[in-house]
Amino acid sequence: MEGLRVRSYIRAGLVGGIVAIYLMLEGLVERFGELNLIGDQVTLGRVLLALPPAVAAFVVMRPRTEAGRLVQPERRAGTVGGALTGLVTGGVMAVALLWADWFGIDRVRAVFVAASPALVEFLTFGRTIVTGALILLSVGVISGALGGVARTTDPGLRRPLTAGLSALIVFGLLQRVIPIAMVEIGLTPDWLYSPITKGLTWEGAAVVFVVAVAASIFWERRGRALRAELRAASDERPSVKFSVFLVLLAIAAVLPLLLGAVVSEVLGQVMIFMLLGLGLNIVVGFAGLLDLGYVAFFAFGAYTCALLTGATLNTTTGAAAPALSFHLSFYIAVWIVALLAAGLGVLIGAPVLRLRGDYLAIVTLGLGEIVSILTTSNWLQPIIGGAQGMRGVTKAQIGILNFQDNPQHFYYLGLAFVLLALFVSWRLSASRIGRAWNAMREDEQVADAMGINTTRFKLLAFAMGGAIGSVGGALFAVNLGSLTPASFVIFVSITALAVVILGGLGSLPGVIVGALVLIGLPGLLREFEEYRLLIYGGTLVAIMVLRPQGLVPNVRRMRELKEDERSQDAWAQAQAGADDGVAAEEPA
Amino acid sequence: MTRLLELQVVTKHFGGLYALGGLDLHVDEGEIVSVIGPNGAGKSTMFNVITGLYEPDEGDVRFRDSSVVGLRPNQITRLGIARTFQTVHLFPNMTILENAMVGQHCRTKTGVFGAVVHTPRARREEAQIREKAREALDFFGSRLAGYRQDQPAFALSYANRRRLEMARAMATEPTILLLDEPTAGMNPRETLELRDLIVRMRDERGLTVLLIEHDMRVVKGVSDRVVALDYGRKIAEGSYEEVANNEQVIEAYLGTKAVG
Amino acid sequence: MATEPSAPAKTVQMSRFERLPWRKVILTALSVAIVAFVVVGAWKTLTLPAGERFSAASWRDFVILGLAQGAIIALIALGYTLVYGILRMINFAHGEIFMVGAFASFFFVDAYARSGFLDRHHIPATIIVLFVAMSASVIVAVLLERIAYRPLREAPRLVPLITAIGASLFLQNTFRGFFGSASRGYPRPQVLTGTWPIFGLKIDRMEVVVFVSSAVAMIGLSLFVSRTLTGKSMRAVSEDRDIASLMGIDVDRVVVTTFAIGGMLAGIAAVLFSFTFEQVNFLMGARPGIAAFTAAVLGGIGSIGGAALGGFTLGLLQSLGPALLLTGYGVPSPFQLKDAFTFLVLVLVLVFRPGGLLGTGEAEKV
Repeated sequence: MEGLRVRSYIRAGLVGGIVAIYLMLEGLVERFGELNLIGDQVTLGRVLLALPPAVAAFVVMRPRTEAGRLVQPERRAGTVGGALTGLVTGGVMAVALLWADWFGIDRVRAVFVAASPALVEFLTFGRTIVTGALILLSVGVISGALGGVARTTDPGLRRPLTAGLSALIVFGLLQRVIPIAMVEIGLTPDWLYSPITKGLTWEGAAVVFVVAVAASIFWERRGRALRAELRAASDERPSVKFSVFLVLLAIAAVLPLLLGAVVSEVLGQVMIFMLLGLGLNIVVGFAGLLDLGYVAFFAFGAYTCALLTGATLNTTTGAAAPALSFHLSFYIAVWIVALLAAGLGVLIGAPVLRLRGDYLAIVTLGLGEIVSILTTSNWLQPIIGGAQGMRGVTKAQIGILNFQDNPQHFYYLGLAFVLLALFVSWRLSASRIGRAWNAMREDEQVADAMGINTTRFKLLAFAMGGAIGSVGGALFAVNLGSLTPASFVIFVSITALAVVILGGLGSLPGVIVGALVLIGLPGLLREFEEYRLLIYGGTLVAIMVLRPQGLVPNVRRMRELKEDERSQDAWAQAQAGADDGVAAEEPA
Repeated sequence: MTRLLELQVVTKHFGGLYALGGLDLHVDEGEIVSVIGPNGAGKSTMFNVITGLYEPDEGDVRFRDSSVVGLRPNQITRLGIARTFQTVHLFPNMTILENAMVGQHCRTKTGVFGAVVHTPRARREEAQIREKAREALDFFGSRLAGYRQDQPAFALSYANRRRLEMARAMATEPTILLLDEPTAGMNPRETLELRDLIVRMRDERGLTVLLIEHDMRVVKGVSDRVVALDYGRKIAEGSYEEVANNEQVIEAYLGTKAVG
Repeated sequence: MATEPSAPAKTVQMSRFERLPWRKVILTALSVAIVAFVVVGAWKTLTLPAGERFSAASWRDFVILGLAQGAIIALIALGYTLVYGILRMINFAHGEIFMVGAFASFFFVDAYARSGFLDRHHIPATIIVLFVAMSASVIVAVLLERIAYRPLREAPRLVPLITAIGASLFLQNTFRGFFGSASRGYPRPQVLTGTWPIFGLKIDRMEVVVFVSSAVAMIGLSLFVSRTLTGKSMRAVSEDRDIASLMGIDVDRVVVTTFAIGGMLAGIAAVLFSFTFEQVNFLMGARPGIAAFTAAVLGGIGSIGGAALGGFTLGLLQSLGPALLLTGYGVPSPFQLKDAFTFLVLVLVLVFRPGGLLGTGEAEKV
């Protein structure tokens, strides 16, 4: 068997082992151990345990250059190498378990809070320590082998299987959503999702797996061609694109009815952060200005909306009137808020936007923190309530639609504003203004030299982003009804940034996906809630290192490249030879 | 003949280094003037001062007899001075057409409202932008035409990138065009083609051209007047023959004969 | 495809309005306003009636406190400035490197305090604690460089910055997961409580130790950078990375060394900080990190002397600023706004003098 690189395997295995221990000590393994994916044997926690060896093996068996040629390891080497890697990882886990038991798990807990008897229970699958260690070892070997096999298998075989497994995980994670939708439509979900374990049933899992594999095979064979046809059709006739959009809109409109009040609550939050993401997308994605203080606009919008609609200060003795108070309707106030925020953006931006990228980031961070601190300060307490905040924000009622008390209604309010922001962003990006922003992002000095007033356009982006962010804040205020400074911290800025980056800078569908994933998932699965910031941080790092263009990159560029290969060939054939020797040829 | 551009005793230094030391230069309407000189003579610095990237420490730059010193580059472009760069500075991820369309930016006014709502004026402007951009690209013939206009600029060959930069500058509808070593890196055939294009820029499009060049075939073929610089000062001015045979110019390029 | 001459654009004239150097006007107005604010505020505070005014002793205490805290800030700021000098990037996660050192050393300090070792043999105990803190910080710093920053060395400037932010968040929450969100009490050796009489004044022992240790560390660093070969390599790489590698300098090794040194200094700062405030928690790196970064920028980022100067200056600004300026205006609880004050300094420095106190007054041209 050629190509056994034992040292690489051991190293990869050790890294995998460290990752596994990290997952254990963070409490992820145990916390997610309650989340049943399939039946009650396959929990997310157990999947997390099996992942490090599999991923380590997957990575170590990647094709490498050897003596100038790209070498793909054979399947057999993949299996053995993977198993070896997995053995090391499993070994690390097993050793850790044995050591913890010898040392005394309670003494470990004095340092690492997640090291508890419950964790040990989990790791040993409820059996003795030694049996547990052996199980971990075998899990390592098997997962490693599988990971190695996966990497060294022909993609035609691998892709459907990956699709199947991913579908299982996705369906497993959506266990709080899909059954509700099914009930609404009138189907009984019990065959798919067990009411006892909450996760997929084994029969349901089998169905999901088979369907996903079939879909993947179909996609490979026919789907790609179909999509290209659809794309071409939508280019020729914009009505096709529009109809696709209408379909998506219809789905979005129907969601809260389908998924019930609890999920709609989460969707409402998703809408707010989608709005924030769209606003920040204009600043960071379109104009390339890294703004880390976006929470400033969010807070401004929330508090200004509260003040304009007659909210009161929360004090220890009850409610008090703020120093400034108006009683406008939300639907008038929100536009005033947006306008004021745009003005604020211009005011702040003017001295600050000439700074270079990372300096601008830090300055905006500082400004955001100043606003954060001011919201809790005693100094501004007479206006915005200080540490106790405000209450009594308007419900923005229209007829029977109560946006504060009814989460489903609020979702529609949020959706309306998101659609507006999407429209504005879309139109802007395709206009002269969008072109100017593109040019500034690519090369600011040259854009200036080409006649673009870079200062003005930076301010424009900042002001627009600020306006949209402040509307998000206003919606937030209406949704909650009361405001406390604890909501206006730097993490809002970072979350908005993560949403934009995960989706892809400058990509509108990207913001939608980003918000759904980063806000929807922790919202739906309480287990993720605790690890929200950890996930955001890890996501930012992973995206920047592995896929900086985001999940749904700006499709226009990529598509043009691919299409051009085809049209270029066609054109070249038609022009055969005509391009050479055009020294003095007249323009065609 | 209107005097379009005039530099009066322009001085620019960086720390102790004098890039330009009291430079006088003028360009009249309809002329093609070439600036030559050894490397480090201050030619590109001169362009940077004219277009507002640097402010001169002393002296004045006048366009149509009003001073442009202190204006920002985008304002100067709007006044009618456009330029290309010594190393090509395109917008690599934008398409060829978009690069050219950027040039039209300073001639249009559509704001946020027009862009979002698509007012008739906005639509008209957008059509105008496209048309003028195409016009500028068409000047370079089939090179920048057809399917290519939707290709990203980074896919272009070197010579085509230079052409695109010129097209982009022309799209700003300038009165005077500053070309910084336009034929650098081109092969002989492309160089001759460009030489003819420069003359056509003046004849067909009514542009006044000030160019920095090292290739004497081009200088000889296009210039109404040649200006030679050395150490940031003008050392000779006149027709090509006059300047080429000027002793100081020869010395600047080749050095003096060794004392035997 | 026009073949007839198209008329040149009609003559565009520039109005006098547009010629105004708007930026200069606004900035000048802003700076006048700020100077006025500072002067008036200080005067008002100092002329408050005797009952409300701060005594001379209070001001003295503020100054000493400012110097001590400034010393810690300076140590952390050095980490930022060293990395910025070498890689031109802001290691946003440096505050977390500081925090890691504190936490790692906590377990040792805690155990030693309980067993009495800390007080019986305070010098060896402290040395061990310092060593642990420094090692932990160095390990995290080096890992961070290797995993998150090295792959992005050639990427556009914003990418490593975003990565750093993500790394900072990740580290904070990793440690929250490991050790819980509650603060832990960090015991101080008995010998460091109380005061020492120096020049006839009674100064907090902790403040003296902080000041002296930081000064020693900074002098050591300065000597290292100017005298040793590694230090020279660091300076070379910070001037021009590519040329330095052509001259045979192993750039990767230099970068790792730089991060390691930054980590060591952060570890020292961590112990000093934790002894001073007697507690640690997973968020403790956030504000000191920003303060240190502000200090580095204030002094002139990329310059070691700048970081030191900036650190002490910022420490003084933090302790004197709110008291001196805001009390006069009748702002309630001005110390609440201490951090806001720091951020304001940061913003103002970057707007008016991005090169810092020791810089040239202009931002680097791109």
